[in-house]
Amino acid sequence: MKSHLRSLILAGTGAALLAAAAMPGVAIAQDQPLVIARNLEINSLDPHRAFCDTCQIYLSSTYQGLVRLAADDRSIEPLLATEWTANEDQTQFTFTLHPDAVFSDGSPVEAKDVKWTFERLKNVQADPSFMMNGLVSIDTPDDKTVVVNMESPNSEFIGILAAPYAGIINSDVATENGAIAGEDAASADQAETWFLANSAGSGPYVLDTYRPDDELRFRVNENYWGEAPAISEIVIDQVADAVSQAQMLQSGSADIAMQVDPDTASTISSPDITIETVPSYNFIYVMFSPGAQGAELLDLEVRQAMAYAIDYQGAIDFTVGGEGALQASPIPNGFPGTDGLPMPEENLDKAREILASKGLEDGFTLDITVASLNVYGVDLTLLMQKLQQDLARINVAINIQPVASAVWREQTANPGIPFSARFYAPDYYGSAQYVQFFGMLPDTFWERRASGQGKVDLVNQRQVELFEQALAASGDRMNELYHEIALEMIKDRIIVPVVSPNLILAYRNEIEGVRYSACCNLPLAELSRK
Amino acid sequence: MSTYIVRRLIAMPLLLLGVITVAFLLTHFTAADPLTSIIGERQMNNPAVVEAARARWGLDRSLPERYVIYLGNLLQGDMGTSFRTRQPVAHDLMVRLPATLELVISAMLLGTIFGVVLGVLAARFRDGPIDNIARFFALIGASAPVFWTGLVVLFIFSVQLGWLPGPGRIDSRAVAPPFVTGFYTIDTLVAGDWAGFRSVLMHLILPASVLGWTVTGIVSRMVRASMLDVLSQEYILAARAKGAGPLRVLINHALRNAMLPTLTILGFSFAYLITGAILTETIFSWPGIGSYAVAAARGLDNPAIVGVTIIGGAAFLITNLLTDIAYALVDPRVKLSRQEGS
Repeated sequence: MKSHLRSLILAGTGAALLAAAAMPGVAIAQDQPLVIARNLEINSLDPHRAFCDTCQIYLSSTYQGLVRLAADDRSIEPLLATEWTANEDQTQFTFTLHPDAVFSDGSPVEAKDVKWTFERLKNVQADPSFMMNGLVSIDTPDDKTVVVNMESPNSEFIGILAAPYAGIINSDVATENGAIAGEDAASADQAETWFLANSAGSGPYVLDTYRPDDELRFRVNENYWGEAPAISEIVIDQVADAVSQAQMLQSGSADIAMQVDPDTASTISSPDITIETVPSYNFIYVMFSPGAQGAELLDLEVRQAMAYAIDYQGAIDFTVGGEGALQASPIPNGFPGTDGLPMPEENLDKAREILASKGLEDGFTLDITVASLNVYGVDLTLLMQKLQQDLARINVAINIQPVASAVWREQTANPGIPFSARFYAPDYYGSAQYVQFFGMLPDTFWERRASGQGKVDLVNQRQVELFEQALAASGDRMNELYHEIALEMIKDRIIVPVVSPNLILAYRNEIEGVRYSACCNLPLAELSRK
Repeated sequence: MSTYIVRRLIAMPLLLLGVITVAFLLTHFTAADPLTSIIGERQMNNPAVVEAARARWGLDRSLPERYVIYLGNLLQGDMGTSFRTRQPVAHDLMVRLPATLELVISAMLLGTIFGVVLGVLAARFRDGPIDNIARFFALIGASAPVFWTGLVVLFIFSVQLGWLPGPGRIDSRAVAPPFVTGFYTIDTLVAGDWAGFRSVLMHLILPASVLGWTVTGIVSRMVRASMLDVLSQEYILAARAKGAGPLRVLINHALRNAMLPTLTILGFSFAYLITGAILTETIFSWPGIGSYAVAAARGLDNPAIVGVTIIGGAAFLITNLLTDIAYALVDPRVKLSRQEGS
């Protein structure tokens, strides 16, 4: 018996030693694939059905738009189009295509591809289709010229074209594989499965492999018409948990960890790892829905009082350990029109005074739900618990019930949620998207939900007029108009931003070119090894 | 026994139909419209997009219609398309099931071997230091949550010591082997990829140990209790009196008889591990059925939820049957058919 036991122990020790000996070293050879640890959460790889953060990374690496967002995250620069012009009322846009641009199969990028891409984006009727709202027609006078006609002014169109979802697709290849751009695309297009295994763009990378919940692998585009990227193969590895991402980074299994939260980042002490904290355009907001069931008391003054009762800096400290910024309006800091906006203010005296003037000094109770989510390092339930304490100071009690995100979304439509928290990240660089989503314009997402599908009138006519003008304006005038719209949105007190969490970029020291991009998250083609 | 097996096999499709029906109905009576998992918030206000999505995913049909269509498709092996991965559910399951089975079988093997060894040692050296250590080890295995032990072992063996790799089935920089069986251990060997095979084995050690630890805890306690009971039986005394050595008595006479209740536990543990590998798969980024089920439930991915339920139901039915058969094989006194049993 004893000899058997001894054999077992010896075998176990041997196996452990073998394991240790077999482990590769941490130093990574130059030609090895670069590994990014990230929670993939991809909804599609079809450029016109995809709509997610990882989708932005994927699409901006495999496809190219007519224009792109520059590294300053504000200006637009040429990409497939060498130049473009807009008519005076911002309804017609003319583009000249780069003569050298080719797709990954070597065929030239032509005007017909641009026309086909924009028409499919519009007609497929999926998440990013809103980017082609107002598209009337596209003319292609020759192979390298595209004229886009809109039904109404849209000064933001060029900004929209810098979004990864507007990347130009090789129409011949896509059509061969079931893609359709015509008006019947919503029902007849059958290309999504093909797009899950293939890419058809002109970007620096092509899709090598995609295994949902496992990995997304890129290899360099052999026919790339621009400067070849330094890294020939990149893998985005599915790692859902921030701690696991940090562990992979420390062990050398990953080169970049994309979703490390401040708490986890503080535990990384390795000298081989660089941790950068940068401001982001993402934000967490609370919203009031006076049209929701049980929200009858939430008129403008009460909403103002509740907004004054929020300890904004405390919420930032509590949720992201101070790694975040205040945000004035639903248009994030740094976007057109946001310079000089007044930051949210905590003022308990004012809050109490308003409630007293309404005869509500004894407060009231709200039953609310919140999505059980942790986004950009912020746990929404924890945030609501913090706000629960804040509001208790003015005798407003909120009973919080965490629910699944899908259930939460259903409830916002019916019966409505009086007060809750949510998040937003930009789809492209431009302020119109925020007005169209958060503004109190007829039929925007939050106008419908906050008003209880029209039970109470929340439409802000001034916003409607300003937005019309903004879409027809450009340059400084456009910025001024968005500034005024932002002020109106603050006055509405329907959407109140609480925190714009910083982004933590954690990567091994030998990696260069890691940066956050407002349109594309992480531009892969800029990465290299020292 | 063969009559019994045939009867169970005939009943199985009916039981599965029940499972499918309940799962299908439950997923369609949730508190949220599945469209919320298909369309983003912004486009939920766009009637054209909503209508297109309903038509595309068959959500514009009545529930009975959808049920009949689903059953018809299922008979042809079509379990629908996942709302989340946008790929056929049958394909998703075919890719993920081997990953889970590879993990679960490895965990089962490790857990059983360690559990039996610990149980036997604990019983043999009852109330001594070995017994106490074994019981403590079993207690931790049975009670410590997998998400905690997973992170701890990753931190110790991957980050601190660097002995074993981190999450995933194979080194992230390596290319997965061509699909033959879906078991990376087998597929790397088939491909002649020895480096890949070594990487796969290394990646299996931590998750399989963590998951198997639970089984070790349960099995060792069961074996210990059964062994103590068996060791006090008269036939053990008789075996000793006939001159059988201690090891022979322990293994051939005591362990064989003590294994009967353990087999029941192993049968249930296997089915439990298949559906319960959820946390291990999440912590170790293991692309198996468990993590697929979690993502499906979280994202209201109804076709995937029903698909996983079918697989889970089938796993329980099959393991129950196999356990009953194993019972009869290990203990000839157990008869499975009514005629033989009466």
